[in-house]
Amino acid sequence: MTRILSSDKLDNCVARWRKAGNKVFGPVKKETTSSYAAVESAAEFDLGLILPDRSVKELFFPQTEPMMRYSIKKQAIDTEDFQPPIEKRIIFGVRPCDASGLAIDDPLFGWDYKDDFWFKRRNNSVIITIACTKSDDFCMCTSLKLAPDSTKGADVMLRPLQNGKGWQVEELTDRGREAVKEIADLLQDSAEPTAPNAMVPEKFNLDACVAWLRNPENFESSFWKEISMRCIGCGSCTFLCPTCHCFDFQDEGDTYNGIRRKNWDSCSFALFTMHTSGHNPRSTQSARWRQRIMHKFNYFPGKFNVNSCSGCGRCSRQCPVDMGITETLQAISTLQP
Amino acid sequence: MKIVASRNEAPGVKTLKLEFQDPADHELFKQNYRTGMFGLYGVYGEGESTFCVASPETRKEYIECTFRRSGRVTSALANSDIGDLITFRGPYGNRFPLEEFYGKNLVFISGGIALPPTRSVIWSCLDQREKFGKITIVYGARSVADLVYKHELEEWEKRDDVDLVLTVDPGGESPDWKHKVGFVPTILEEAAPSPGNCIAVLCGPPIMIKFTLISLKKLGFEEQNVYTTLENRMKCGVGKCGRCNVGSVYICKEGPVFTAAEVSKMPQADL
Repeated sequence: MTRILSSDKLDNCVARWRKAGNKVFGPVKKETTSSYAAVESAAEFDLGLILPDRSVKELFFPQTEPMMRYSIKKQAIDTEDFQPPIEKRIIFGVRPCDASGLAIDDPLFGWDYKDDFWFKRRNNSVIITIACTKSDDFCMCTSLKLAPDSTKGADVMLRPLQNGKGWQVEELTDRGREAVKEIADLLQDSAEPTAPNAMVPEKFNLDACVAWLRNPENFESSFWKEISMRCIGCGSCTFLCPTCHCFDFQDEGDTYNGIRRKNWDSCSFALFTMHTSGHNPRSTQSARWRQRIMHKFNYFPGKFNVNSCSGCGRCSRQCPVDMGITETLQAISTLQP
Repeated sequence: MKIVASRNEAPGVKTLKLEFQDPADHELFKQNYRTGMFGLYGVYGEGESTFCVASPETRKEYIECTFRRSGRVTSALANSDIGDLITFRGPYGNRFPLEEFYGKNLVFISGGIALPPTRSVIWSCLDQREKFGKITIVYGARSVADLVYKHELEEWEKRDDVDLVLTVDPGGESPDWKHKVGFVPTILEEAAPSPGNCIAVLCGPPIMIKFTLISLKKLGFEEQNVYTTLENRMKCGVGKCGRCNVGSVYICKEGPVFTAAEVSKMPQADL
């Protein structure tokens, strides 16, 4: 016997969580795109999605976010820092790859300067993950040594029942226990078995790829030019990626009043690294694609001991020219280290 | 920070002298600043730009920055008047380990607008001159007009405890130019500073660094005795925004000061 949450109680849960002062988010399909969005009732969820088009990253590190306001009067400058929001949030139905993405980026936002905007949101959010029972051709969590029911980054793990009418509930953290406590009386005991995990075949041998990437001789391999020939540098892969974290600061306003914002930026863009002098350390698209792959599977793990990829496959799934991490690493795993 | 003085150094190149407005900020700067570190200078409404602190660690009552007017932020900085307020974030990054240079001869090699970071080290050493051996400065620019800190070059030229070698690129000399004509690496090889017990500090555009490193090698300098500063484009200064890295090295956190030995381990194609 295990505790389950039945699908028809979900709306009660959402109402309960909202009443307790939480803002509730989950996978929502809009006309042209799907994302993790705020909801008022469970009817708004689309739990049939393999995963939303946009990753959960944007709820912690928004595409654009005001950092401070300035106003200048004669010889005085007034500034005001924006405070990171402290609203309590329940994010329901996060896919394991998205939840892992958050855990992967924690050390990055925490080293040196600790990013309050990230951590206040992290500390006030409960991630309720639903294990995957469906996958598509682009899913590749298993290639990253994760799984369709990986609990990394999750506060509560829900495993879909075989009859499709609910989920088995497993609390993983204190925050998760707190959120489940609020709906404890809505749970019931059941012997209904859980559905099998999605089948996600391994697409490449990660260790072989990493060995190739770590060999300095391969840095200037012609492979990079060939593989990135198709790349149009649109940056979609980096924006949809649950772990890509590059950003830019921009001032929005005039000389006297305005807001300084933090915006997503992308290593795919030529201007990203361009010096004022015109010198550009990553002057070609192949150098930029190499940077992205190297950063995820060589530099980042070198610093934080974890690959900066959770295998969601969005980069390949939504690439306009059909290239992504999967295609690149598949090609690398066929090369001699 | 308040602009308390400004000086035109060369066409398009300006130095601003800045004073802290908040004593607590100033105190933090005094505690943390060492030569080689950089900051992000900004004008609200325009943005921030990264350059070194051009003033030495021996003079912390103010900050000097020298920059070429080229983009949006540097134009706004150049257009600022004495009395105007600008922003400064920093100091960030690592430093030149001056204690390790004590008792050694120093060769400073610099090109064009890269004299400011070198100048911070030069004055830090000249202000405690007795701690160092022979000091040689090799500085070149495209033309005579493009030399920055002209008044300080005159001062260094007059000092008998500094050897100053000035050069301009061929075609950049004026009729009354009395110094060298030629590119920095060639002039450096002519000046031939002895590599024994000597540290070289090298700052310049990437192409000059590349060829000067070859010349230093020819002269017998070992890579671990050659220091340089890599200043890539930066936005955050704290290892998050993702653009300044060369290979796995984040310039903002692990740099900007590196020895040539460290630089040679970086992927050369991404420098």
